[in-house]
Amino acid sequence: MKVLAAYNIKGGVGKTAAAVNLGVLAARDGFRTLLWDLDPQGAASFLLRVRPKVKGGGRKLVRGRSDVPELLRGSDVDGLDLLPADFSYRHLDLALDGTKRPARQLATLLAPLAEHYDLVVVDCQPSISLVSESVFDAADALVVPLIPSTLSLRTFDQLLDYVRNEVERPPEILAFFSMVDGRKKLHREVIAQLPLDRPEVTTIAIPAATEVELMGIERRAVVDSAPRSRAAQAYRDLWTEIRTRFDLRPGQP
Amino acid sequence: MPTRCYLAAAESDALGLVAGLVDRVREASSALDADVGERVVTTRVVLDTADRRLRAARMDLAIETGGTGEGRAMFVLGGPAGAPELRVVCPRQRRRYLAGEIPRGALAERLAGIIGVRALLPLVELRREEIPVRVLDREAKTVVRLIVADLWALPKGSPEPLRLRSRVEVTGVLGYRRQFAQVDSAVGDAPDLATGTTSVVDDAVTAVAGSPGGLSSQVKVPVDGDEPAGAAARRVLRGLADVVEAQVPGTLDDLDSEFLHDLRIAVRRSRSVLRQMKRAFDPAARREQADSLRWIQAVTGPTRDLDVQLLEWDELAALVPEDRRVALGPAHALLVEQRTAALRTMKATLRSAEYRRHWTAWRLFLAVDAGVSGGSGGIDAAPPIRKLARRRVTALSERIVREGRALTAESPAEALHDIRKRGKELRFVFELFGPSLWPASDVKPRVSALKALQDVLGRFHDRHVQVDRLRALAPELANRPGGATALLAMGSLIDRLEADQRKAQADVAERLEAFARLHPRDLA
Repeated sequence: MKVLAAYNIKGGVGKTAAAVNLGVLAARDGFRTLLWDLDPQGAASFLLRVRPKVKGGGRKLVRGRSDVPELLRGSDVDGLDLLPADFSYRHLDLALDGTKRPARQLATLLAPLAEHYDLVVVDCQPSISLVSESVFDAADALVVPLIPSTLSLRTFDQLLDYVRNEVERPPEILAFFSMVDGRKKLHREVIAQLPLDRPEVTTIAIPAATEVELMGIERRAVVDSAPRSRAAQAYRDLWTEIRTRFDLRPGQP
Repeated sequence: MPTRCYLAAAESDALGLVAGLVDRVREASSALDADVGERVVTTRVVLDTADRRLRAARMDLAIETGGTGEGRAMFVLGGPAGAPELRVVCPRQRRRYLAGEIPRGALAERLAGIIGVRALLPLVELRREEIPVRVLDREAKTVVRLIVADLWALPKGSPEPLRLRSRVEVTGVLGYRRQFAQVDSAVGDAPDLATGTTSVVDDAVTAVAGSPGGLSSQVKVPVDGDEPAGAAARRVLRGLADVVEAQVPGTLDDLDSEFLHDLRIAVRRSRSVLRQMKRAFDPAARREQADSLRWIQAVTGPTRDLDVQLLEWDELAALVPEDRRVALGPAHALLVEQRTAALRTMKATLRSAEYRRHWTAWRLFLAVDAGVSGGSGGIDAAPPIRKLARRRVTALSERIVREGRALTAESPAEALHDIRKRGKELRFVFELFGPSLWPASDVKPRVSALKALQDVLGRFHDRHVQVDRLRALAPELANRPGGATALLAMGSLIDRLEADQRKAQADVAERLEAFARLHPRDLA
């Protein structure tokens, strides 16, 4: 079982849209996939039409006192299940802080699911905290959406620096461009230059498209609601890049 | 996810069933609604290996036309439980698919390790007209899935499809157990539905007069220990003859190498029974039949030998340093040529009048009951099979131990091979007669110890034969382009094989003593 985490310190950069679309594409590709909505806002749960509620809340969950299989919900997509969000995840830092090895806690929680799933996609909450440390420890790879702007890039560099220097078992990192407006010169320039400077950054660019925004209305992944759109194609490209780069295969241990 | 299957009454069809089911779902709970999807018409050619390995792994594979493939044929792989259905474009429909002929990617990865060297073959053609119904909660989230389907099996060469009973499949969604129970109960109470099996494929195969379990190379003929040895042995031999006959068409069509392999194993076991139970048969008739079986074994041998060499090729090539591996190309090409020629000769022989004559005589020999028709029984035909079988187990076991203990580091390869052959004969006696004659607790440890011994003897023999075969390629290979380089690479390969052969020889003594500790006289 491999764990991918859609992560960025900043909010509103396209993490949830990426996590949901990647989850759907993975399931369609034969991966037994679990999407873990770790963001208390519960956007991924909403998109998959599942009530953002976890029996016992986040504290009980991260302390290993919940029956995790009982919390799982099947989605409308064959092969994609969800571990829903809960509003109490906003206090997850505090809940983790009381555990023995907080940074290892999420990995420990996921371990028993390995026989049921090939892939876990975590939709992370925006922040850098004990929760993110635990995500970094559990994840094989971080999938980072980047808005092609100067500030975003600065934040990305901070993330790289932190993961490489502070995390005991640093995950791989793959960044892609998100919310791209092709009419903006800055966006075009950054997309042309950055992948040349940093091997972690791909040229894949998810456009700032109406179809992506409509996910909230349609409550479906773009790859299903608008499969011929540029955004859907970009998500498919992203999934192919992830599969290849991290050598993901269904059924692998 | 839980799935329940219901079979409709013979006169019902999907359209009629759906209307009633939607009403039942809505009546079951005010929190549930149903969304009826569009009818999907598909034709599926179901694929599996001849011995139904996918079925055993609880998987279904088919090439689907129609449905969501947008006009393209698609491989559709379902199961095992928990794995999502996998759909992959089928670029070209073939008469069979070996592992290397399946498009690379997720499909090939999921099938790898299950089909092995067997080919995926078309099993039955199925036409399916299905109406999907999603049962929704108040968030319009799918909480249960229903498929209501009309089905036809399309027999090969017949224009008339066979109508199967329509079915309703109720599948739960993870985390929505209560809703599944509500819907399943509502569907189960429908007057025109009855609980059914979950395998459409098995129903379709049965409808076109096939066997859902596929071809088996195993012979499970129950034997009564007090039964006269001659009659019991013949009954087992008839089971083996059925296996041979079932493997002949696939061998002639060269569908995969296992057909010929299973055919030869059944012949080898038959020869072994004739040898081990020889006093149960009339000596002259037995000799004649043993000669016929030896002839069949001989005419099928060259193709099998070359199959083995080609199947082992990648493993052997991996023993050569990577930079010299490519030099082996001409040797591989030579083997392929030789195999094509051997196959052509074998096919002609298996279709010849001589083969038919041998086989008919063998079947006639088996059809005669020992002791009933004059001259068909030997001096041990009448005593109980238990007695004869135990005598053979004792004699073979003692001989294996005696000859094994006499081995030295200088013993010729033939001496080890002779012991291996006796081990095979003993294993056949255990496999064919053991389950009926002795408790499993007595047989299993003996078979395990024997198998462990056979494994090292087998490795010794395989390496010996591989070296001989490689050396035999040398004269012809030397005159081919790239031959000299290939010979050098083969030299390095032969060194590795001989080292492994010596290692196997060194392991024989220890395994032999483990086998010797389980004395055959202790059999109940």
